Amino acid sequence: MNTTTFSLYELNALVRQTIEQTLDDEYWVEAELAECRVNRGHCYMELIQKDEHSNTPIARAQAKCWQNTWAMLGPYFEKTTGQPLHAGLKTRLKVYPQFHETYGFSWIVTDIDPTYTLGDMTKRRQEIIRQLQEEGVFDLQRELQFPLFCLNIAVVSSQTAAGYGDFVNQLADSPYEFRTQLYPATMQGEQVEQSIIEALNCIYHDIDNFDCVVIIRGGGATADLSGFDTLALAENVAQFPLPIITGIGHDRDESVLDMVSHQRVKTPTAAAQFLISHLDATMQRIDNYQERITRYATIKMETEHLRLAHLAERIPSLFSLVKTRQEARLDTLANRIQSALILTIEKQHHQLHMLQHRVKALDPALLLKRGYSITLHQGRVLRSADNIKPGTEIETRLEQGTIISITK
Amino acid sequence: MTYEESLKQLEDIVRKMEAGDYSIDELAEKLTLAQQLISQCKEKLEKTDSEIKKILENR
Repeated sequence: MNTTTFSLYELNALVRQTIEQTLDDEYWVEAELAECRVNRGHCYMELIQKDEHSNTPIARAQAKCWQNTWAMLGPYFEKTTGQPLHAGLKTRLKVYPQFHETYGFSWIVTDIDPTYTLGDMTKRRQEIIRQLQEEGVFDLQRELQFPLFCLNIAVVSSQTAAGYGDFVNQLADSPYEFRTQLYPATMQGEQVEQSIIEALNCIYHDIDNFDCVVIIRGGGATADLSGFDTLALAENVAQFPLPIITGIGHDRDESVLDMVSHQRVKTPTAAAQFLISHLDATMQRIDNYQERITRYATIKMETEHLRLAHLAERIPSLFSLVKTRQEARLDTLANRIQSALILTIEKQHHQLHMLQHRVKALDPALLLKRGYSITLHQGRVLRSADNIKPGTEIETRLEQGTIISITK
Repeated sequence: MTYEESLKQLEDIVRKMEAGDYSIDELAEKLTLAQQLISQCKEKLEKTDSEIKKILENR
């Protein structure tokens, strides 16, 4: 054992020398960022490696990226991955060790591999998607029917975002009377998940007043989108009972939020345009139906008119048939009257004639003519001689003349 | 009186006349009534005919 006592500086210098001699190269290292902040143009990071199963840190180290390097790497990383370097990201860094007598050990970052982070993000996103699919909620939003008349809109956005103003103005300029209500939420950074979930919960309490939800975010494509790629947020959006339109403003890969939402658009303005176009389509549909109804009704009316005209044309001839029949019936009745009258009169004539004959046959003149005579006593016909006393004057009428005689 | 009522009455008279149901004294009276009914019916037919034509022309 070395018994020399070193000053701290000496000992630290020894460590520095040892490190410089033994680790004199640059190394690529995979590590998660536990911390990341920029100060005076330098980027200070804390690297961490967690145990895969227990999540407990098993390695930890400081890392720095000096201003001249960071000025290139920072923007490049953000441009490639769509988000700035920040805590929670998994990174692949090119480093060399540095031990400073005063400041201790630190890895100095000379390069960052954004594709590694991108790959990790994709992997994480795929993991979230797989989980959502397993839960059976991944397609729920797309299965919702977008309301035909979507006029009442709950907006989740940051109140001060330019995108929100664009969205509201665009709707106000449309011919429709949209009603929007803002549910303010933080749309950037660590608070995104919590903040949007809270806003959705508030909307849920008031759900009957809305037809759909729009989640919009103003700002450029370079802003941090990682907050939108979380399982909890995706689950909340996927299972929300109203259709959700996302317009979180980026051109790169879709975020998980975009994938589970009912409709994804690029910008808040596009979200407004989508709503307006949807109503345009609804109006167009109504117009079409109106036109079809009018056309149908017109054709139907024309057909009925024609049918009536045809029927009307047939009426005079039909009635003339009725009239002829009725006239014939009346004529027949008139003829029957005449026949009946003639018959009656003839019958009466005949009866009279018969009576006349019978009367004639009874005429006493006929008997007188045949030689019979009529004897009268005091003007009355005598049918018996019984009551005639002798000396009675009787009158005998003959065919010609009358004999007055006295009985004996 | 409607056309049908008139016709019914007329037929009634004719039937009774043919059956000899009327006395000679009634005959002339019934005959006059029958003639009146016949002309009423004929008039109604003519009137209906011209009305139909008029209605259809004005359509």
